[in-house]
Amino acid sequence: LTAGNKIFHLGPCRVSLSITEIRAGFNAIKASIQARDPIKTLSILSHPYSLHKVKASDRCCIALHLFDFYVDKVFKHCKAEDSYLNRKISSIANSFLSARRKLEQCHQQNQCPCGQESDEKLEQVLVNYEGLNVTSAAIKSLGELDILLDWM
Amino acid sequence: EDVLLPAPQNISILSTNMKHFLTWSPLTVQKETVRYSVEFQGEYEREYANESWIPICECSLVTSTVCNITEDISATVAYKLRVRAYIGVRRSEWGTLKGFFSPITTSLTPPLMKVIADGYHLLVKLEDMGPAFQFCVVYWKKGQESRMQQKVVKEVSSVVHLDTMEAGAAYCVKAQTYVEAINRSSSFSQTQCVRTQGDRSMWL
Repeated sequence: LTAGNKIFHLGPCRVSLSITEIRAGFNAIKASIQARDPIKTLSILSHPYSLHKVKASDRCCIALHLFDFYVDKVFKHCKAEDSYLNRKISSIANSFLSARRKLEQCHQQNQCPCGQESDEKLEQVLVNYEGLNVTSAAIKSLGELDILLDWM
Repeated sequence: EDVLLPAPQNISILSTNMKHFLTWSPLTVQKETVRYSVEFQGEYEREYANESWIPICECSLVTSTVCNITEDISATVAYKLRVRAYIGVRRSEWGTLKGFFSPITTSLTPPLMKVIADGYHLLVKLEDMGPAFQFCVVYWKKGQESRMQQKVVKEVSSVVHLDTMEAGAAYCVKAQTYVEAINRSSSFSQTQCVRTQGDRSMWL
């Protein structure tokens, strides 16, 4: 961890995330990732509603769901020929894995409630994701990482 | 048939203040240039990416026996690391670091600091150790060790103002680093004391 860390308060849950490191890693690959995303008219995270419309009480659970989504479905389908890209994706993926673990602990202590809205939101993200072939969906989702980071 | 090179030995990590280096013993082969390549594997790769390994291109086919892995070892998870030796087309088996490495185990040293009495102002100048570091500065009037005060410095600016001093009094300061990502602190630095005497600060 060489870069600035930030504590995210998601409801009662606190997650320390090396956000500067993740943003630096993402900014380093954003152009080439987004260049590989041919479908500009669709969004995985923001369709039909932006993350910013989510109720405060659901923020923690949505963050947990989205970490799951990225770790389970996105990163593994973004393998690139370019070793530099793979290193940056690895850096982000391992940071997400670490953050997810902390959120899961909080969830297990019943402090990260999942309401209807968070379930619906994730359901929508998965529908958007499964509407594309897996590589395109993964690349598009990775290209939208700044939407998630901005929302957090 | 090409004889396999022996795998690099004594592979270890030197990690101080969130800077991490992989080192290993050199392989000596008469009149040959030995080169090395390093790869890493995070917890994500082990659990979600078929235990894949990722090469570090700055440490691919290098003659050095030290590799700066700081940029890649960037999450608080357990990492595995390995090194392989090459002579021309001949190569060794992978030598793998025993166990795992996580940035959580880095060793933290106290910050370098300089205490300044600028007139009646008690100031401290702290070493810039990077954005991951915060500082806890403790200061007190000499002789009043029971009334120590504390200031948390999240971002290192040039100089930090601690207090306004009483004329002729001596004040002492010590500091430690804190890394929020791993929730650990260094030990405290040596105490430094100064006394005001008009505009000149006097070291004690």
